[in-house]
Amino acid sequence: MDHQIDNPKLAFAYLRPACVLLTREPTVGNVESLSTQLRHVNDGTLQQLQDYVLFPLRFVLKIPGPKQDGLVQAVAEAMAYILENTCVHCWQTLRDLLSELCLCLCSPTDPGKPAPASEELKAAILRCLDALLHAAYGDVVFKLFEPTMLPGLGAAISLLLALGEQEKSRTVQAAALKCLQVLTLQCDCSLDHVSVGQKERHVLGSTMASFLPGITIAVSRVITGDMRHGHTVTVRAVKVWFKTVGLVMADDQLQKAGCEEKPPTELGRVGELVVQRTPDWMRNTSGRLALLLKNIISCTSAHQHWRVRLEMVNLSDHLLTNCKSSLGECVGLLLEALVGAVNDEETIVRERCEAALMDVAERSQSSDGNNQAFTDVLSENLHSLATSLPRLMRTSDDQRKMFVLNVFLGYLKILGPRVTSVLNSATHLQRLSKALMQVLELDVTDVRIVEERSSILTEETGVGPHRPHAQRKHFLYFTDERIFSTVKEICRMLGYYGNMYLLVDHLMDLFKESAVYRKQAAMVLNEVITGAAGVVVTRCQERQAKPSQEDLKSTVESIIEEYTSPSHWHLSTRISEDSESWEPEQLSQSSLLSISNDVEGKGNALQSVHAVRKNSTIHDLNSNIWQICIQLEGIGCFAHALGMDFRLILMTSLYPVLEKAGDETLLISQAALNAMWDISQACGYASLKELINENSDYLLNNVSLNLQRLGVHPHAPRVLTVMFSHSDSSLLPLVGDIVQDVLLALDMSYDETSPLFCTVLHSLMKALARWFPSGIRITNENNKAKKVWCEQDQLNVHQFLLDFHKQMELAEGIGVEEDVGTENPEIPPLTDLDEDMEGPDVKAELPYHITIAKEVMERCVHLLSDPRLRLRLKVLDVLELCVCVLSEKENELLPMAHRCWPALLLRLTADDPLAVLRAFKVLCTLGETCRDFLRKRVSKEVLPKLTASLSKQAPVSARAGPVYSHTLAYKLQLAVLQGLGSLCLRLDLGDSDLDAVTEACLPYLSCRQPPKLQEACLSVFRHLIEADPDAFWFTLNELYCPCSYSPPHPNLQPVQLSGMGVQRNEYIDNVLKLLEIFGLPQDTTSRNPKLR
Amino acid sequence: MARPAPAPLYTLRGAGSALNALQFRCCGGDTPLLFSGSAQGSVHVWNLITRRAGKVLDGHSGASVIWLNTLLSRDSLISQGRDMRVCQWDLAEGRSDVTDSVWTGSVGFCRCSLLETGPGRWLLAHPGEAMEEVKVIELPSRQPVCSLVPQRKPGMVMCINLWQPDSGPGPLLLAGYEDGSLAVWDVSLRSVLSRVAAHPEPVMCLAFDPTGQRGVSGSSEKSLSSWTLDGQHRLQVSEAPGSHSPRQPWDLTTVYPGGR
Repeated sequence: MDHQIDNPKLAFAYLRPACVLLTREPTVGNVESLSTQLRHVNDGTLQQLQDYVLFPLRFVLKIPGPKQDGLVQAVAEAMAYILENTCVHCWQTLRDLLSELCLCLCSPTDPGKPAPASEELKAAILRCLDALLHAAYGDVVFKLFEPTMLPGLGAAISLLLALGEQEKSRTVQAAALKCLQVLTLQCDCSLDHVSVGQKERHVLGSTMASFLPGITIAVSRVITGDMRHGHTVTVRAVKVWFKTVGLVMADDQLQKAGCEEKPPTELGRVGELVVQRTPDWMRNTSGRLALLLKNIISCTSAHQHWRVRLEMVNLSDHLLTNCKSSLGECVGLLLEALVGAVNDEETIVRERCEAALMDVAERSQSSDGNNQAFTDVLSENLHSLATSLPRLMRTSDDQRKMFVLNVFLGYLKILGPRVTSVLNSATHLQRLSKALMQVLELDVTDVRIVEERSSILTEETGVGPHRPHAQRKHFLYFTDERIFSTVKEICRMLGYYGNMYLLVDHLMDLFKESAVYRKQAAMVLNEVITGAAGVVVTRCQERQAKPSQEDLKSTVESIIEEYTSPSHWHLSTRISEDSESWEPEQLSQSSLLSISNDVEGKGNALQSVHAVRKNSTIHDLNSNIWQICIQLEGIGCFAHALGMDFRLILMTSLYPVLEKAGDETLLISQAALNAMWDISQACGYASLKELINENSDYLLNNVSLNLQRLGVHPHAPRVLTVMFSHSDSSLLPLVGDIVQDVLLALDMSYDETSPLFCTVLHSLMKALARWFPSGIRITNENNKAKKVWCEQDQLNVHQFLLDFHKQMELAEGIGVEEDVGTENPEIPPLTDLDEDMEGPDVKAELPYHITIAKEVMERCVHLLSDPRLRLRLKVLDVLELCVCVLSEKENELLPMAHRCWPALLLRLTADDPLAVLRAFKVLCTLGETCRDFLRKRVSKEVLPKLTASLSKQAPVSARAGPVYSHTLAYKLQLAVLQGLGSLCLRLDLGDSDLDAVTEACLPYLSCRQPPKLQEACLSVFRHLIEADPDAFWFTLNELYCPCSYSPPHPNLQPVQLSGMGVQRNEYIDNVLKLLEIFGLPQDTTSRNPKLR
Repeated sequence: MARPAPAPLYTLRGAGSALNALQFRCCGGDTPLLFSGSAQGSVHVWNLITRRAGKVLDGHSGASVIWLNTLLSRDSLISQGRDMRVCQWDLAEGRSDVTDSVWTGSVGFCRCSLLETGPGRWLLAHPGEAMEEVKVIELPSRQPVCSLVPQRKPGMVMCINLWQPDSGPGPLLLAGYEDGSLAVWDVSLRSVLSRVAAHPEPVMCLAFDPTGQRGVSGSSEKSLSSWTLDGQHRLQVSEAPGSHSPRQPWDLTTVYPGGR
């Protein structure tokens, strides 16, 4: 077949026998041989022989009587081949072929119904029909649509519709629908098509108007019918539907409806078929179409296959483009369908839809004739949607909710700048805001909200460089996070296009009106401002008037003022204030739970507040917590909205945020931290530290103001705490006068406010201790050095003996007191410190943190004897920190230590066990730095009491059961034992003291004691061994000696230790553990240098 | 009991040391500014919108700045320090340069007084080298106008106030002295018009209202004295307005017309 015949004469000669044969004997074989031969003739030649070769084929079809399916099919295929490769010039041919093919399709008995033929046959005939219509020349094809042709055309159309609707095979269905589409000259396949001019189109439209009801009804049945018939058929059907409707109802045709000429009267009965597209007809039709459309859209918009949804978008777009005014009733439906697809999960659908919406929006703006009507439709839709929104949110599933909200959003996007005028209508605004309020209702029943406590107050280093992740909100009516983000986008859209002042006023009214809407109103408000600033808005259209930065700023300022007003900011978030009962009464009054603003007059306010407080449920508290969080989020949003301009607002807004960052409720403090991060990003600060340092003047101004009125503003200490925990020492110079204020205020009133101030002092000292790490570690290093020195010494037995001998000679009778190991290392740190000083005469100005620490310590001395235990404990903590900070300047520490000693001593000896515990910790810390100062005092005043109590308690704890470890007495024992060893070592206590300690501790080596106490006691001995190895080796061996020592020379007397040969007793385990420190017992005979 | 004092609107922090002199500059649409002179010789320029110190002018080599004035024009500032100099600053377009400086020779802490005599011309009265001397010069030419030294030795000059009376030829100058006396000088005649012993102790500050011809002075014995000036420029001490002030009066800046 590489060479086709291109000579007509040759071709004729070639084809003639087959044609003649076929005419004589109509068999399948003959048809097929003809069609094989046809393929050897090229297209141009075939065109010339078209009529000739078609004749035998048509002849076969015209043979009266029933025919074989196979034969007809073969004929149809052959004809299709011819028609696909040639053109039809002759009207006669076209008309005849059309009717002949239709005849083949319909049943011989009932011409309106399709024949019960095989699928293949139908497919072949449909293909042939398709080819025929494609092959028809422009001048002939339009004759099809002349009124005289209406009956024939109608028959064809109804046949095709019947096939499309009732046929079982999908291919036939699709092919029938495709034919229908071709028949209306709206084919979209890749072949060449007749170009349809304006006038022809009009004719086409008029003709098809007659069949519009039939086509639309039947096709919509196809669309909405069986969902199983696959997407190809549905897509094709949708296409046919909207192409037909678009053709008949086209605006440009109908506008000229008036000037339509009367139908020619000579048509006779056929004339009755002609439809006049009058306005009346248009209205009726549009109404009916709206019904159909509703069905179609509801079926397709949620269709599983994206091609169907895409086709639905095409439908909406096509009809909105071409028939907006004639299909007045359908516009709302179409828009809804379109905007509902804006957030389709399939990108192609989404993009197509966005483009369509853009077109719609632009068209609606440019043409002002229908503008108002269009806006009305949109705003009406929006209104009814807003009305039904709360109900839909309550009842439908997440998928449906998402769809509804997308539709909502889509409307706003199309309305664009006209949102302003829609919102100007009070009912619309009311409806819209109420809907949002109801949709955004939060679920506040979770107990954890109020339970979770933040640890910022106790945390050492504050929060790291990463922002905590935002807490998820739980809504009453939906769970999907995407739904929330859509609602947020709706709010932003409102802010972007709407009148900012109007919206803000309205929402602020809602916010103030009642607690029911307060949280939602704040949420919406936050997003509206974000939208108004144009941040995070996926832009659709340019808006007309962007609010100026100045307007935005003043609006934000007023909102923040409202947010941070005491009645909305200081809400009660805790079940009882008992834990802080020492806070002034005003505090509890200011942190009132605000239920409603119109409490019955000011006079009763307090009473009712108290009544409410008692009844405040977890529900209310949670609600309050969330409200504060949302307001904090809002401040973050506003910062982003204003950018650098927010810096000026920091003067008033940063302080409240920090106030909340120090809040004890986890949720609030996290929200506040997030807000701080938002602010620092928006204002161009690299970190929270920078934010606080750069704005410390603003913060401190508020802090100092509020410190003077602590009763009314009790949160200033909290702010200071937060500042300290996020900042560094560069803050110190600025804080200076605040600290002075605090100390002064403390001096003025020791009674009421001291607990609060103590909190400030505590955080201050903690920060100082963090910023200026003290030199306590140096002493530790000295100890290590000493240890090494001892070990080196141990190796040289000879030298030791010489030294020992010398010592014995020198200190005859004095004995142990002047031990070498303990005296030497004590001096270096002192001399070091002396050398650090610039000289005795020049009194160098003290670093500021030292001055502060001194002043704070001074106050601690007074507060240590406060009757309130909680306060005493806190003061002890502060005191310990003071000691840490001061430890770098021993000259300053010692006088202070001297001053606070009497008070501390009282805490150690005659106070609540809890206080003793803390005081002992302080003592240990103090012992790290000023050992000489403490040595005598401890041995005289503290040790006797401690050892006495240890000795007294030892038998008790030895007998006690497992519950004992929960008692305070146990904890005290443990604390003392844990600290005692290092204290003794640090202070270099004398031997008599060490003996006393040993005596008190020995009972605790018993295995009958609770394990933890044994361990603590072991640690005491380890320290003691470090201090004086020989003495304690001896002491331990007195208790139990695991091996015997034979003298290396017969002249030496054998060693006798009282622990030798002792039977197993309760101390053995621990003694053995301790003796391991000295090395393995079997080697001791030759190496042990510790013989006296 | 009196109500507690209202809380301050804002406290400007960060000057680093005690402040001795303040001067506002709020003109037209400009950012309102406040100048403060500190005991460490620096002049802070506070932006009253952001409430932060914008620039710090350092021209008195660490000596305390005791007096500031804006020369009534937008961009220049005049400051007096205890380094015995009066400096004039050019602040236009973000500059901060000393354009001119006058050596006063006074080691005391008497503040200068400035009087505008014409557009762009001023008279500056400043304490002189001798204890009791007051010098008057013309700015910006720095032409000395006169030197006012009293015949009696009233001790150090403590405070001065220069003004132009409605009637009469030349400007008048009020000076308070260490011995507690006040004197009215006629600058053009270089003579004392009137003198009165207002206080037993040194006069620390004075303020005068030219329209009401009344003034108040404070002295180191912690009392205020009020006096009037009659048509012949004679000082008369009126009833003391009473009140011993609890602290030593240091700065009485303005007496408003009506005497309040």
